[in-house]
Amino acid sequence: MKYSSKQSKNNLYGYPNWRTKAFFVLSFGFLSILIIGFIGLNFGTISIQPQKIFSILWHHKTDDSLGLIIWELRIPRLIMAMLTGMTLAGVGGAFQGILRNPLADPYILGVSAGAALGACSSIALQYVTGLYLMHILPVFALLGAFLSILLVYLFSRKKNHLPMTDLLLAGVAVNFFFSALITILLAVSSRELHSMVFWLMGDLSTANWQKISLIILPVFLGSFLLIFSSLELNAMALGEEEALHLGIQTEKLRLKIFLIGSVMIAIVVSFTGLIGFVGLVIPHIARLVVGPDHRIMLPVSALIGAAFLIFCDTMARTIIAPTEIPIGAITAIIGAPLFIHLLKRRSETNEY
Amino acid sequence: MNIKEQVISLEDVNFSYGQQAVLHDINLSVFPGEFIGIIGPNGSGKTTLLKLISGILSPQNGQILLFHQDISRIPRKKLAKMISVVPQESYITYNYKVKEIVFMGRIPYINQWQGETISDYLISRNAMEKTDSLCHADKGIHQISGGEMQRVYIARALAQSPKILMLDEFASHLDLNYKYEIIKILKETLKEEVKCIISVFHDLNLASYCADRLILLSHGRIEKSGTPLEVINNQNIKKVYRSKAHIIQHPELAIPQVIM
Repeated sequence: MKYSSKQSKNNLYGYPNWRTKAFFVLSFGFLSILIIGFIGLNFGTISIQPQKIFSILWHHKTDDSLGLIIWELRIPRLIMAMLTGMTLAGVGGAFQGILRNPLADPYILGVSAGAALGACSSIALQYVTGLYLMHILPVFALLGAFLSILLVYLFSRKKNHLPMTDLLLAGVAVNFFFSALITILLAVSSRELHSMVFWLMGDLSTANWQKISLIILPVFLGSFLLIFSSLELNAMALGEEEALHLGIQTEKLRLKIFLIGSVMIAIVVSFTGLIGFVGLVIPHIARLVVGPDHRIMLPVSALIGAAFLIFCDTMARTIIAPTEIPIGAITAIIGAPLFIHLLKRRSETNEY
Repeated sequence: MNIKEQVISLEDVNFSYGQQAVLHDINLSVFPGEFIGIIGPNGSGKTTLLKLISGILSPQNGQILLFHQDISRIPRKKLAKMISVVPQESYITYNYKVKEIVFMGRIPYINQWQGETISDYLISRNAMEKTDSLCHADKGIHQISGGEMQRVYIARALAQSPKILMLDEFASHLDLNYKYEIIKILKETLKEEVKCIISVFHDLNLASYCADRLILLSHGRIEKSGTPLEVINNQNIKKVYRSKAHIIQHPELAIPQVIM
């Protein structure tokens, strides 16, 4: 290995300039999202030609049906998929870092089960009372998610400590308990079963501009705060004591990451339902591409997550159009084999 | 020595895990330039003592002062600029590159808004150079051997520019040549910015070779403290380790060596 004695702009005493690296990787990521997104816009129950889409986008045409399909259906859905993918993959990466556990995912603390219970209750309530509650389903889901965060926190807190193992165990317990309640709801419902199952597997078909406006701020603010903690997350890889020796207040950091991550996930999941595998697999792919340094890994993970979910959503609404497949099924069908491949590779090369 | 110069001072320190008392009435002063070795049988409280001085644990009774400040009142980040610790063994979760691990030693100095400076990279590189781990800089931390890993940990600790360097059995996986090399490096840092070194040793011969002063722990108490010659003798070893040993003098140095 050669090192230049003088530091150049891109080689600081043998350290590549991570900002330059980040710039190129992120630009490439943005570009891919634009391209995948644009391709995604072509497909659907009605396929629209690329030239036509260009002109609709360019002139912001909403006066005909094609314009409406693009601007009111496909673009909101695209943006929703992007924001959801970003959140799931970004939070998944941060959770894997803070827990020092490559099998962690954003749902590990029971947020998903809480949101699902809230959503399913509102669907059940709608059929029982005959009221139209679909538009406030996200509120129910959000309340359920926050309830689970609160329970996990209360169950695992000990005096001033928040031990990692207790946190995980409390998350598992809350998850199981809420899942059991959901199972009971599913068992006693008949007509409403389809909506519940669809929500449980993730559903982006209800995306609209209003929903986007509600989640966009928390998603970007939360992502910024997570990325801002990257150096501290890097230190956690050395071990809890080692991180303490580097001046990191590990308990505070853990609380901060969990709180920010869980709130982001709660908000997003309330609108989209449970989309699995993205938060588990994408951070690993990001690590394979750019290495484990969270300063680059987290943004890259978010970008790949966004691109992956746009791709999966396009598949979900086109494979057997006009019938939709729940997007969670698509992500798992693509994600599970990919994940097994990565695990095999990991055991072969002894990588991370 | 002058009290005012004390780098570390422990006054009547007691520590217990729950009901189980681990350390009793520990009094200890460390002065600039000293290389302290902590020895004692398994379970005598060596690592606990190290954790107390590095601020991971806090004592139930007594006081620990670093440069005359109560350690419990020093903020973590400031403490990290004073003390760095080389762990015995630790598992690193993801496959970071060696140079990234060493660079983590600079974390306490990096302002989150401004980011790292060129000197942070220079210091990391120097630390790798000193420990002869520059050749592994671009390898993954999971791809290098145990001995190479120990040198990387020492490099990371040096990159932290500590005033007090603490080590927990730093040489267990090191080859003979690297033992000499690392000890030389550690002693050189004592002449520069590092004020004192405290290390836990399992190997009594290595302890006797490295340290200016040995602290012999037994059942959580300081049994004996002094130069290697004063501490390592038939009487003390028999009492603390409950085992017979032959103690001879090193052929070149005035230090005792223990053979079976």
